[in-house]
Amino acid sequence: MSAAPVRRKLQIRNAALGLATVALAFYFGIIALFIVRSHH
Amino acid sequence: MSKSETSHSGHPHDHAAHDHDHHGPATGIKRWLFTTNHKDIGTMYLVFSLIMFFIGGAMAMLIRAELFKPGLQLMDPVFFNQMTTNHALVMIFGAVMPAFVGLANWMIPMQVGAPDMALPRMNNFSFWLLPFAFTLLLSTFFVPGGMAAAGWTLYPPLSLQTGDAFPMLIFAIHLMGASSIMGAINIIVTIMNMRAPGMPLLKMPLFTWSWLITAYLLIAVMPVLAGAVTMLLTDHFFGTSFFNAAGGGDPVMFEHIFWFFGHPEVYIMILPAFGIISEILPTFARKPLFGATSMIYAIASIAFLSFIVWGHHMFVDGMPVAAQLFYMMSTMLIAVPTGVKVFNWTATLWRGSLTFEPPMLFALSFLFLFSIGGFSGLMLAIVPVDFQYNQTYFVVAHFHYVLVPGAIFGIMAGVYYWIPKWTGHMYNMALAKWHFWLSTIFVNVLFFPQHFLGLAGMPRRIPDYAVQFSDWNMVSSIGGFFFGASQILFAILIVQCIRGGKKATDKVWDGAAPHGLEWTLSSPPPYHSFTTAPEIT
Repeated sequence: MSAAPVRRKLQIRNAALGLATVALAFYFGIIALFIVRSHH
Repeated sequence: MSKSETSHSGHPHDHAAHDHDHHGPATGIKRWLFTTNHKDIGTMYLVFSLIMFFIGGAMAMLIRAELFKPGLQLMDPVFFNQMTTNHALVMIFGAVMPAFVGLANWMIPMQVGAPDMALPRMNNFSFWLLPFAFTLLLSTFFVPGGMAAAGWTLYPPLSLQTGDAFPMLIFAIHLMGASSIMGAINIIVTIMNMRAPGMPLLKMPLFTWSWLITAYLLIAVMPVLAGAVTMLLTDHFFGTSFFNAAGGGDPVMFEHIFWFFGHPEVYIMILPAFGIISEILPTFARKPLFGATSMIYAIASIAFLSFIVWGHHMFVDGMPVAAQLFYMMSTMLIAVPTGVKVFNWTATLWRGSLTFEPPMLFALSFLFLFSIGGFSGLMLAIVPVDFQYNQTYFVVAHFHYVLVPGAIFGIMAGVYYWIPKWTGHMYNMALAKWHFWLSTIFVNVLFFPQHFLGLAGMPRRIPDYAVQFSDWNMVSSIGGFFFGASQILFAILIVQCIRGGKKATDKVWDGAAPHGLEWTLSSPPPYHSFTTAPEIT
């Protein structure tokens, strides 16, 4: 496989992982925010 | 933008000649269970959405039957509340959202010149989560205590009184959220990484643009809803007090996070429709879209503003005057980019060579009727006015104008526009026009009187009402029954179009050619479209 398709595959994987991380951060972030808030 | 179907080597690109190199669909049930093909998955989303549309519609018919005249007719109040709650959940998460994802699956790879979605196996997984989610949600009908009845907003403490359905409901929402997030990731990654060479972002078709922005909204807000309902779950089962005032929590905070999700959710259900209308009007006006770049900025502005207006759903909760003013002004600000869009659509029609095929009829109906929903939204944004209209049928009329002749007519316009491309057959135009006229007339008979009822003070979410509301409720119910019945025509048309009909040309519509790569493919398109990237010149 030439370099270009490999690079594109990596870009796709990294973009998907990045967006999934953002989604998980929002999910746990909002819960964490409420836990922190409940201790003040 | 003009396109040629030559491959990068410069040879004519012949899809039929390429097909022998690529496997076709599997046969039987395996094709649908294990498919990674964007067209198959798009079809499954659309069929699923149509089934949910009829299930949610049946619930709406029961609601309108109960409200046909005052007094309790057919059901006890708890069952009525179950119907309103689940009608909303089914229509929002089961009908409207999956329909747009289905359209995205079919059209985005074809519009950007990609062979498929970027993450095809995840695409399969995100679809197949939905039947499980909705089986779980609808099976709550059979559990002790019945379905959830606290409204789709799930406000505590009322929602915490739900019976055995509660954990099933929460898990179903988690599954729907996971499906939406995976779908959104797939769409963003496809658009950002798989566009044909020579297609810059600003030259992408408007439908693809509207979905790119919608997908970012989904990733930002669906996890927030999931977080909120997880906290409801722990409040119910694990003794936490996130929203329990007795334990130091605050039920109003649930409303804040719910509407931080809920308001962008409204735009998630309308922005792709904006994209569809922006595709259809230029085709049937035979003119380029007026102000195409400003349309993109307008959609992006609406998306941004959707994150800062959630408080307008909570004016009657009580909040500082400064907060009321902020939410009122920011909400009204949305009228500016929306006005830009309506102006651009109208300017596209101006002096165009208009023809009135079914997609155009639905698009024009969208333009008028969605604007009515927009105007009543502006009225509700005014704080002292909202104090009067809150929890009345005026709100019901408002959001149904936005969602039925708005989102659902947008979906129907899109299906009528693209289905000849998908199936290779034209549909029965006369029957489609009957469907259009019956839908447009009766959607107004159904929802317009609800403005009067709301202004006269009829509260929402009640199975019984004072006698002075009788006449308009009867009119509304008659409109509802006819609107519901006329949707059977839509299902008949789709089945007929799949089974056969006059052969559709590759271009399908006279004015379609300059407006997107999808029209350069055959009708129906090959199982794997654009195996060689199209060249855009």
